[in-house]
Amino acid sequence: MKRYLTFLWQCARISFVGDWRYYTWMTVLTVLSLVGLHAWCTQLVNGLVTTGMTDQVSWGVYIANFTYLVGLAAAAAMLVIPVYIYRNMHLHHVVIFGELLAVAVIVMCLLFVTVDLGRPDRFAHLLQRFNFPVSMLTWDVIALNGYLILNLHICGYLLYCAYCEREPAKVFYVPFVFVAIVWAVSIHTVTAFLYVGLGGRPFWNSAIIAPRFLASAFAAGPAFIILTLQIVRHYTRYQVGDDALLTLRRIVQVATIINIFLLGCELFTEFYSDSAHIASSRYLFFGLHGRHALVPWIWTAVAFNVLATILLVLPASRGLKVLNVACVLTIVGIWIEKGMGLIVPAFVPTPLGEVVEYVPTVHEVQICLGIWAFGLLLYTLFVRMSVPVLSGELTYRKDHGVSHEDHRRATAETV
Amino acid sequence: MSRTGSTSTLPSDPPRRWQAWFVPFVLIALTGLLLADPWPHVSPVGPAAVVPASATDMTPVRRPILKPETVVAGMTYRCSECHNLFPSPVETDRPLTQHRAIVLEHGINARCFNCHNRENRDAFADDRGGPIPFDQPPLLCAKCHGPVYRDWAHGVHGRTNGYWNPKLGPMERRKCVECHDPHNPAFKPMRPAPGPNTLRMGDRRSEAEGRSETKNPLLIYRQRLPGGDGDEAKPQRHRR
Amino acid sequence: MSEQDNQLSGPGLTRRGFFRKSAVAATGAAAIAAAVSPLRKMSPDDIPTLERFLQKHYKEMTPAEMQTALDRIAREVEHRFAVRPSLGDVKPMVGVEFVYALNISRCIGCRRCVHACVKENNLSRAPEIQYIRVLKMEKGSIDLETSDHHYDPPVVPEHDSYYMPVQCHQCAKPPCVKVCPVEATWQEPDGITVIDYDWCIGCRYCEAACPYWARRFNFAQPELAAKDLNPDMSYLSNRPRPKGVMEKCTFCLHRTRVGKLPACVEVCPTGSRKFGNVLDAASEVSYILRHKRVFVLKEEVGTLPRFFYYFDERGSRYHESVESDRATESGGGGE
Repeated sequence: MKRYLTFLWQCARISFVGDWRYYTWMTVLTVLSLVGLHAWCTQLVNGLVTTGMTDQVSWGVYIANFTYLVGLAAAAAMLVIPVYIYRNMHLHHVVIFGELLAVAVIVMCLLFVTVDLGRPDRFAHLLQRFNFPVSMLTWDVIALNGYLILNLHICGYLLYCAYCEREPAKVFYVPFVFVAIVWAVSIHTVTAFLYVGLGGRPFWNSAIIAPRFLASAFAAGPAFIILTLQIVRHYTRYQVGDDALLTLRRIVQVATIINIFLLGCELFTEFYSDSAHIASSRYLFFGLHGRHALVPWIWTAVAFNVLATILLVLPASRGLKVLNVACVLTIVGIWIEKGMGLIVPAFVPTPLGEVVEYVPTVHEVQICLGIWAFGLLLYTLFVRMSVPVLSGELTYRKDHGVSHEDHRRATAETV
Repeated sequence: MSRTGSTSTLPSDPPRRWQAWFVPFVLIALTGLLLADPWPHVSPVGPAAVVPASATDMTPVRRPILKPETVVAGMTYRCSECHNLFPSPVETDRPLTQHRAIVLEHGINARCFNCHNRENRDAFADDRGGPIPFDQPPLLCAKCHGPVYRDWAHGVHGRTNGYWNPKLGPMERRKCVECHDPHNPAFKPMRPAPGPNTLRMGDRRSEAEGRSETKNPLLIYRQRLPGGDGDEAKPQRHRR
Repeated sequence: MSEQDNQLSGPGLTRRGFFRKSAVAATGAAAIAAAVSPLRKMSPDDIPTLERFLQKHYKEMTPAEMQTALDRIAREVEHRFAVRPSLGDVKPMVGVEFVYALNISRCIGCRRCVHACVKENNLSRAPEIQYIRVLKMEKGSIDLETSDHHYDPPVVPEHDSYYMPVQCHQCAKPPCVKVCPVEATWQEPDGITVIDYDWCIGCRYCEAACPYWARRFNFAQPELAAKDLNPDMSYLSNRPRPKGVMEKCTFCLHRTRVGKLPACVEVCPTGSRKFGNVLDAASEVSYILRHKRVFVLKEEVGTLPRFFYYFDERGSRYHESVESDRATESGGGGE
């Protein structure tokens, strides 16, 4: 137990140690997080009227970001599957970064849901009357929290074993890894089912939403990891091979192709049939009744996704510069199409045919940036803690000068 | 995987410049910024809309006295007081010299004695000329408006106030003349109460104005009718 | 990150190190305090109290606990509006299932129902919340997407339009009840879908789920003047709601459960609205369902609404003769 506490203490200590670039980065993220916290406190005082949401468009950027981030979290499984199922060892050393990302991202998801609630002080009601299994939100609560605990356990266990210079016992992490694979797919499916199960919103009530979720998650997630792994490689001494990045590239490549195909399926289904049910799609892609705020966004997203797919298919994207551009395009394009392109159009027009547009307010944007910054802060902390542990620089023996057997016999030392 | 061991340092190495020197300053600046609150919440909620009292008025449209009376020069007379003195001709289409305020627009029912009892002005006339009491106009209207009367008797036409459960309180069925002026029964159009003015609603213009083409088959077909013009295909436009 | 070894295996805490660390800690704490400083502006009524925290779900409250809650709410209303309310918890009547019927041949679109509802149910005036939305429909179309919500002509009814007011249909298979994660909304035995305003967490999933756009959310603190307050209240219907919770039409259950008609029915000048107990064969609504041409909105969604629209004769414009239709068609079309 003492060793575990020491491990936590050392991790906490090392997160405050770094050079000026590290401090600048963390300070910027802290500033953004605190600005976001400030905006949320304003929202708590005044109510959700500080946001741009209305009865007509009752979910906005908070749920949009939540949806996108659930996909990002699920993508950690995309690293796990090649390694544990297909024995692709190129990714073996970077799997943990995917899982650490999953932890940070799930925390962001939970924060986005919390700031979207009208009465966050009544969070405990979820524990007292839980409408499981009828309400999909309850499934989502279980799925997200379960995924968080799973990944915390896996990462924590592996890091702790590395800290103690002990070989991790397979029984304590391999089964959990396999459960996490299935669970990752399920968190995204459950989140998709939140929307799909609503018969009153024809834009959502379509079977293709869940597969599209998965395809876009498995494109955006590994793209994000490609970028963060290069940062880890550049700023730490951790070895990240190019073959890891190229394996991830292959995953993103296939996922974006599937994503584009599914987009094509949706566009055909909607616009060829041209029935009255496609009003929301018409609003999103072409505008409706003179309102067209989302049209430039969605076409930008489509352009980004198509361009990213083309770049990824070309052999030029084996070079890191082109690959990074493709990754950024994928991340941004999927963020737009899954956030604003999925959540907001379902509310326009309302079920009674009214068209009211949605524009996020300053406070909303600050809270979103704050949560993103906080998530990146967490992820940076995780990387900052885990790299020295995994590379053997930070171990119990090195701190205390004794092996863990000797320490049991030694008296307590102050550090 | 790990690289060669850590660089050893001696306690006597000269201390390097504190890499995080700017952090307290940034945090102080942030504190000042947040306390100054440069983004206060400006409420988008406008003042409450002014709603005329008529919009929530539960009294019926008309308040007929349901008595065979009229007021002339400040004095109330029962109908029979004059009409017993001046017997009416059998049939006439001459314009009225009294009761000139009444404008008769009851469709094809243009004969006073279809409703009013010629012999007894304190009552209405039934199908055989007998009296219908003045305070029971539905029996009179039922002479011609059978289906509507049937609906009214079942509570389906016309207005009810009070209780839906007559065992718990009075269920007040409104009589015909409490909505319809018997001489000009068409229900009068009225000024609508204010429309919705919800949070961040945007431009309040009529929805139809933003629409460029209609998918309403009736409107599309009507432009093909003789006498209809092309404008019928467009949805209706409404001026404020 | 070569600094890390220096600092971790160094001689321990020096005076300079202590000063640096506490500078960062102090300024960090100040920044966090500044970040949460807007909370000082929170209204004292909004601060969660232990009493509210411990209050149970409506279905779990004993009569004594309900009375405590009612007393608390009555105190709050009196404190806020200086009006003593008559606040109770009206239970459903046995053997009653409410059904609503609306005659679209007679509705003239005057919107009095909207405002009578606002007055009866203590709805917020700023921001404006209205449970009923009157749709002006084009003749020939039943597509709600072609409707106009913001018509404002000099007089109604308008030519070639018909009007459909929409409010909560108290569906027999309510999607809103299905999706609520905390069971803050449920359907009562008399068919009314109700909300426990002290249980709702404000996630707005029910608002997304409703196919009729019948549910409203309190984005801001609901404002109404004390003179506009209706003091006759009930726990599940028209007591003043707090910020951050959902609300909707409850068929005026504080009136209908004691046998009265809802406010929208009473105010309708043309008598287009009909309400009653469908389990009673002699009621108006039973007659309508047996003899009139009724339909429901969005039947294909499968929610089984208890709100029926029906139509009887030619339309609400008897005074327009058939001949005059042709004349006005080729005239200005639509004014």
